[in-house]
Amino acid sequence: MTVIKVLYLDDEENNLNSFKASFRRLYEIYTAGNASMAFDILNQTSVHVIISDQRMPDMTGVEFFKKVKTIHPDPIRILLTGYTDVETLADAINEGDVYRYITKPWNDLELNNSIRNAYEVYKTRVELREKVTELQKTNDELNRFIYSISHELRAPLASALGVISLARLENVYTPHQKGSEYWELIEECCNKLDYNITNTIQYYKNSRYESISETVDFQKLATRLIALHKLANKSGEKIKFDVSIEQNVPFTGDVFRIEVIIGNLISNAIKYQRPEESNKSIKINAKVTPLDAVITVADNGVGILNEHLGKIFSQFFKVRNQKGTGLGLFIVKEALAKINGKISVQSTFGLGTTFTIRIPNHHHNTLQ
Amino acid sequence: MSERHCKPSLLIIDDSAFDLKINHTIARHTKLFRQIFDFASAETALDFLADNIHNNDILPHLILLDIQMPDMDGFEFMEQFVKLPSTFRKKSYVVMLSSTDDLIDINRAESNMHVITLLKKPLKIQELTQLVARFFHNN
Repeated sequence: MTVIKVLYLDDEENNLNSFKASFRRLYEIYTAGNASMAFDILNQTSVHVIISDQRMPDMTGVEFFKKVKTIHPDPIRILLTGYTDVETLADAINEGDVYRYITKPWNDLELNNSIRNAYEVYKTRVELREKVTELQKTNDELNRFIYSISHELRAPLASALGVISLARLENVYTPHQKGSEYWELIEECCNKLDYNITNTIQYYKNSRYESISETVDFQKLATRLIALHKLANKSGEKIKFDVSIEQNVPFTGDVFRIEVIIGNLISNAIKYQRPEESNKSIKINAKVTPLDAVITVADNGVGILNEHLGKIFSQFFKVRNQKGTGLGLFIVKEALAKINGKISVQSTFGLGTTFTIRIPNHHHNTLQ
Repeated sequence: MSERHCKPSLLIIDDSAFDLKINHTIARHTKLFRQIFDFASAETALDFLADNIHNNDILPHLILLDIQMPDMDGFEFMEQFVKLPSTFRKKSYVVMLSSTDDLIDINRAESNMHVITLLKKPLKIQELTQLVARFFHNN
């Protein structure tokens, strides 16, 4: 066990001696007859506990501790006081200058307990600080790791997808030709893996990124997200998009998370279309008020079975025979939770699904 | 003006020889470019641009710029690019191309006034034709 180092400051030689006599076998004791001697010791040794007399000729104990706190914040400070100057004491304790005070003449047992407690506090604080530093380091490493993973994993995949589209361009294979479906299968696998990587990274980012408020133009956002997901899903081309945005007031919110939420809903609406439906359509409506934005994404796709409705937002829930990671709606829910949004769903199996989300508007916060 | 003369050049900057080849071939297929130059590093591309500032034959052009590259990355390339004369830059359009999903990179690319947009790899033929239509065929 580490030896506890105690510094005792008192202008009375007798007190210093009797303190030493009582505690020398328990602690490593340093004594000082005035403040400047005490600072000399503190500059050379890192002590755990400092005890100071309140009434001294050059400065009071509280004044000494105020000064110590700025230069050596770690040691725990105990004040010894022979008279009850309540106001000074109360201030000193409330401002955190003094951990504990003990009246003179001290009782050995009481003082000993105080030193032990003070050391415990010291130890806990240092450990906490070490833990925080350690966590910060792990956090930074994890962020760098995710960054490189998102690149290292996606880069070769993007190249592979590039090669496949080249093969199509150069007529390496033509549809209906024997073996042509192999190319499409490879492409599908790559797209699926790409989607999984993107989703996993989105989920990770959602749990870690601080919320950044920016103004949101829902018309632009919707247009961009539709274009993006049409490109990512082959079937997107055949779907009619109907966008109606009513935004007459500015909206401020977390653009990253709003994009993740609406993007996932659009992606699902494209993915879960019924192949036999000839008028595939997706309607996106948004209404923005100073209070909030209400966005609905409605499709005429496969719909959701009643008994599945309660489970669609749970992690890794998947419907049999459907593609997907079971992460999309889980991410939507998590992202909404971060920005105090709400989601509801109505669906008729075989007819379509409507998701409604409500996101608070933080513009100017005029409502507070 | 002859149709041939309207066609822009294309510069592709990517440290991956593989992606360079893919994107080169995709671009060639669009038949939208007068000539296509490949660069395996940002430095060689900068040298080329510096040597050809007065060569109107390479203007106007589109630059497809990869972000993650060793030595000099896409953003460092842009720091040098802005030092080129503005008359030259007016006819030089930069599009960043990356496999990254990283929000910081996306924000950095989008906030750079000299970068038109950031495209996610793989390069899609429609995206490329749309870009050319938007910036080179607007009259």
